[in-house]
Amino acid sequence: MAATPRSEARTGLKLISPTAIYVILLLAVPLATVLVFSVMMGGRANVSFPVTLDNYAKLLSNWAYSYILLKSLLVALSVTAITVVLAYPVAYFVSFHVRQERKSLWLFLITIPFWTSYIIRVSLWFVIIGRDGLLDQALMSLGILSEPLNFASYGIPAIILVLAHAYAPFAVLPIFVSLEKVDRSLLEAGQDLGESRFITFLRVTLPLSMPGVIAASLIVFIPTVGDYVTPKLVGDGKQPLIANFIETQLLKLQDFPQGSAFAVVSMLMVAVVSVGFVLWNKRFIGGQK
Amino acid sequence: MTTSDDRPTMIEFKDVHKYYGDYHALRGINGTIRAGEFFSLLGPSGCGKTTLLRTIAGFEGISSGVIMIDGKDAAGIAANARPTNMVFQSYAIFPHMTVEENVGFGLRKDPRSKEEKAKAVAEALEMVGLKGFGKRAAHALSGGQRQRVALARALILKPKVLLLDEPLSALDKKMREHMQVELIKLQRQVGITFILVTHDQEEALVMSDRIAVMFDGEIAQLDDPETLYRRPANKKVANFIGTMNFIPAEILSETGDKVEIEAKGLGRVALDIAQAPAPAGEAPVVGLRPETLTLLYDDQKASERETEGLIDEVIYLGDMTYYDVYLGGTDVEVRLSMRNVPGRPVLEVGAKVRVAWSPSALVLFR
Repeated sequence: MAATPRSEARTGLKLISPTAIYVILLLAVPLATVLVFSVMMGGRANVSFPVTLDNYAKLLSNWAYSYILLKSLLVALSVTAITVVLAYPVAYFVSFHVRQERKSLWLFLITIPFWTSYIIRVSLWFVIIGRDGLLDQALMSLGILSEPLNFASYGIPAIILVLAHAYAPFAVLPIFVSLEKVDRSLLEAGQDLGESRFITFLRVTLPLSMPGVIAASLIVFIPTVGDYVTPKLVGDGKQPLIANFIETQLLKLQDFPQGSAFAVVSMLMVAVVSVGFVLWNKRFIGGQK
Repeated sequence: MTTSDDRPTMIEFKDVHKYYGDYHALRGINGTIRAGEFFSLLGPSGCGKTTLLRTIAGFEGISSGVIMIDGKDAAGIAANARPTNMVFQSYAIFPHMTVEENVGFGLRKDPRSKEEKAKAVAEALEMVGLKGFGKRAAHALSGGQRQRVALARALILKPKVLLLDEPLSALDKKMREHMQVELIKLQRQVGITFILVTHDQEEALVMSDRIAVMFDGEIAQLDDPETLYRRPANKKVANFIGTMNFIPAEILSETGDKVEIEAKGLGRVALDIAQAPAPAGEAPVVGLRPETLTLLYDDQKASERETEGLIDEVIYLGDMTYYDVYLGGTDVEVRLSMRNVPGRPVLEVGAKVRVAWSPSALVLFR
């Protein structure tokens, strides 16, 4: 007795239903709530219901608000760029220069930072870049500085540094996978046709690994735009980003409509950048077959 | 098949050795490949033929010895500076490029104008029968088309030597036979030295001017296809190329240019010394190809020698029939092949027959 398509579909629905219910209750419903709040009126807890776009208008006309959005976007893009540039050589090394049987060991080592809680990892950065940390001591003992630098208090650069380090392993893995798929005889063919190793890398390996690079960019970009913990801890919390601002609006000021509008705009921003990445990826997808 | 003895040397191997750790992959390769020759490296997998090809391309270094390419020691020359181009077994077509971009890959540093390069690409595609395919995406091509792109991509650079690493092994039988003929024609047209690696003896016989048969990292014999087939240098080569019957024999006398033997089932035969390759210290046997033995029908007479036989097995193939025959009342069984032509009925198992053979077709291994 072969299963009919309909009964297969029913089995499929049954299989995904726990997850589906979970996602609907905990993601779709709150998301809808946020959307509804964002077109409502009022401050504090006394929201009321004439549908309005005032919250969005305020958001776009107030320079302080736009500044936070832009700053978050730039921080996330910088973190993405730095992370991918740092992760690529690591992925390349593991894929091309590590013996086949050692590769899984290397990948395992790369994931070790995930064994520690993120908050602990951020705190540990203070040992290095905080006041009188390793960096200060080293620079002072070399006579380069006379006063402690306390890099951790430098807001944005310190946030970028900490985030880039935290997301590096996420970026290594997709790039590694795409490099593994590159047929090694293509590299010999490149040299056979008269190109040096480096030019062969630029003309063959790099374009073929672009889907991995783009995947890595998305994986790093999306969570860093909405990162809450890092700006809170690093830079003495003086450089709030989107997530911190939304928290202030929603929980401290209890301005639900304004906070929700802010959340919706930041979501749209992420969506636009992500779609851009995905479209860019389409250029390279053909080569992955 | 041409005699190419007068052509200049293109590649010369002088005692080439290659080790991978403890593994001795090439064990003293010597020989020359002449300019404009269609040369094949033939052998079972693991015999070192691909390694040898890759040392010519520059992808593998050698542990000792010398490889001369066009009169220059190749030792200091990187793969991207050698006058050789390769058609890879996997074809190694760049999947992110169009057919055109693939074929024009090696022209980046070419000083010609963009239009001239585009024209060269179009000509190369036409030469391999892919006219009008330039704009196609490379990953959408069939196996045969990929191979043609790989050929065009290599030939457009006008190399002195084209290296082909089992280029036909990924194609189906019909396509393979078609491409064999096309490659021969192409080679004649461009006049470039072709070096083909293959494990398929038939392919090597069909395509090559000369063949190096390799076993265990050594060249067992380097000759033209006919000599290889008719006068194999040892039993291993004889077995690898075509089918050969081996009949135990005894050496009676050896005088100057003649060897007299007594072969079981065949009787006494006097052989020319040319029919006895260098001794290997084995028990003597004579080799006979199946098609050099002929069944005699009715009143036919053998032009040279004939022997009684008893048919043990009949294998009917349509155009041919193979017979396994006991020779001269002994337990020596040989396989012989007969064309099925009118007037030659297929015989039955158990039939008593007469077998004609010629002493000049024998090869003595000892």
